[in-house]
Amino acid sequence: MEERSILMERYEIGRLLGQGTFAKVYYARNLATGQTVAIKMIHKDKIVKTGLMDQIKREISIMRLVRHPNILQLFEVMATKNRIYFVLEYAKGGELFNKIAKGKLTEEAARKYFQQLISAVDYCHSRGVYHRDLKPENLLLDENETLKVSDFGLSALAESKRQDGLLHTACGTPAYVAPEVLSRKGYSGAKADVWSCGVILFVLVANYLPFHDRNLIEMYKKISKAEYRCPRYFSVALKELLYGILDPDPNTRIPISMIKRSAWYRKPVGLAVLKTEIVNKICAEATTSGLTECFGSERNQGSLRLTNLNAFDIISLSTGFDLSRLFDEKYSQRETRFTSKQSAGAVFGKLKELARRLKLKDTKKDGVLKLATAKEGRKGILELDVEIFEIAPSFVLVELKKTNGDTLEYQKLMKDGIRPSLKDIVWAWQGDQQQPCVLRHAEQQPQLPPFPLQQ
Amino acid sequence: MGCVSSKQFKRAEEYEDSSTLAKETTFSVNEVEALRVLYKKISYSIFKDGLIHKEEFQLALFRNSNKKNLFADRIFDLFDLKRNGVIEFGEFVRSLNIFHPDTPMAEKIAFAFRLYDLRGTGFIKHEELKEMVLAILNESELILSDDAVEQIVDQTFKQADTNNDGKIDYEEWKAFASKNPGLLKNMTLPYLKDITMVFPSFVLNSGASDDEL
Repeated sequence: MEERSILMERYEIGRLLGQGTFAKVYYARNLATGQTVAIKMIHKDKIVKTGLMDQIKREISIMRLVRHPNILQLFEVMATKNRIYFVLEYAKGGELFNKIAKGKLTEEAARKYFQQLISAVDYCHSRGVYHRDLKPENLLLDENETLKVSDFGLSALAESKRQDGLLHTACGTPAYVAPEVLSRKGYSGAKADVWSCGVILFVLVANYLPFHDRNLIEMYKKISKAEYRCPRYFSVALKELLYGILDPDPNTRIPISMIKRSAWYRKPVGLAVLKTEIVNKICAEATTSGLTECFGSERNQGSLRLTNLNAFDIISLSTGFDLSRLFDEKYSQRETRFTSKQSAGAVFGKLKELARRLKLKDTKKDGVLKLATAKEGRKGILELDVEIFEIAPSFVLVELKKTNGDTLEYQKLMKDGIRPSLKDIVWAWQGDQQQPCVLRHAEQQPQLPPFPLQQ
Repeated sequence: MGCVSSKQFKRAEEYEDSSTLAKETTFSVNEVEALRVLYKKISYSIFKDGLIHKEEFQLALFRNSNKKNLFADRIFDLFDLKRNGVIEFGEFVRSLNIFHPDTPMAEKIAFAFRLYDLRGTGFIKHEELKEMVLAILNESELILSDDAVEQIVDQTFKQADTNNDGKIDYEEWKAFASKNPGLLKNMTLPYLKDITMVFPSFVLNSGASDDEL
């Protein structure tokens, strides 16, 4: 029985990593690339019986859109007559809570994980995706100690959701669940997620649950009144933050935007670490490309490279050639092109002026203009590459491409900032769709959450 | 085994077997099944006969079934391998396979050559290239002087038509495309790697046999 077992001619299946009501999770390796993955296997009849099929299909579509460094990625879905397989990123470091089992974390260490957790949760919320079941088992670490939240958007498969509709954690307690969820009122997924993040934060630093009682009824009571006590060694800033998060009234509970601005969250140590990492990264890139200085380099004043487009380049701009439109989704647009009847110099001047007005940093590298936001967004600093191509002497094509940051933030910047600022020089935006389309979203669009989601 | 003719039209809804198509292409059985979901969506958008007609193809690309476009026409004609005026499922999968990120560059280069060889002569001629440039300019509602257009085409011929005979043959095209990989950007669709997550409905009806685990 211990032979090599190969799944769909693509993955070599290894040991069983875990098992729950619906699913078995196996360690596996992609035969072609060698990449290690986790494969979650589900029997179809089980989910057909529980009527979860539609929800699962919907959630797969959503999962595909959720890509973030702190979210466990779904690589592909496979199916046979009787089973469904989810091929997921494999987090080598195991559960975060195995770490606390060895002792509580310092506030500083906890802050790092909490910031990653909030970053992931905020990103999903911006796409109308709620976890609804954040708990220790869903927080994993990769080999670099980076936090990976699992099961985002896959709440239909959450082990805790049983036929009675009540939420339970694996150990059978609702320890991480918000009071409004327990009382089975209609609730906002966003606010319930914030609560769970608060409980997780508490546990990271205290190494025990804020709400606990052997008697489940007593525990419910404690949660609904948010009866908890912080250990004496918690800093004032941490206590304040927890007070804001563990607010039994979801309407007054602190939102993520405020968490990010709280004193504890912003405490410079963690940020400094992050910032240095970014600077190092940029410096490393700059050095490899032969630049000696990092910032404020005088070399930036050099001229932009102007690429001449040949006839075939020009032809390939036709929307008739762009088959990606068969799969098109508004979520995925990361680049924009426009033509202009101005000279390259005039367009460049306009772009510089735009950068100044929108407070974007502009630098030049290898003949490409790089724009970057001053502030970090949901997925770090938003960065774009702008390239100008000459078609004829007073006719250029300009391509703006996102190279870093959150796609939704990019689209917003394009729509509210860049497009209006450029309207004087734009001849036509390439590939603009004037009409709403029938085939635009792949599947079940009406059931996807409205966007942006109103709570 | 003899006569198939009368059956052919009725069989529109019976698609080619997924595992056969998977064997012939880079796609897995599941990916073919996911492509079938997309195919059904397009092929039932207007005529509801389970075959992709040109109007349906135009609707999918331009959100407009009447939009004529030289390049979309070319793609449609090349996808329609049997040249019977519709894209069948097998043709759809085999043709999209060329656009798969894992498909060798040589196949993409060959497909692009056939695309640009408008009249199927085995050469891309000066006038064909000019026709295509005019078409894209027209599509962008842009008017350039004839001189400017000539100049663009001449310039390109100078680079691509290395033996200077006024037409680009396949060998010249291969050399030119290899030097300018940007030309083939449209020939790769990263989406095709995500196809099982874009069209997850296939999981319900998958016919793939179960492996023993």
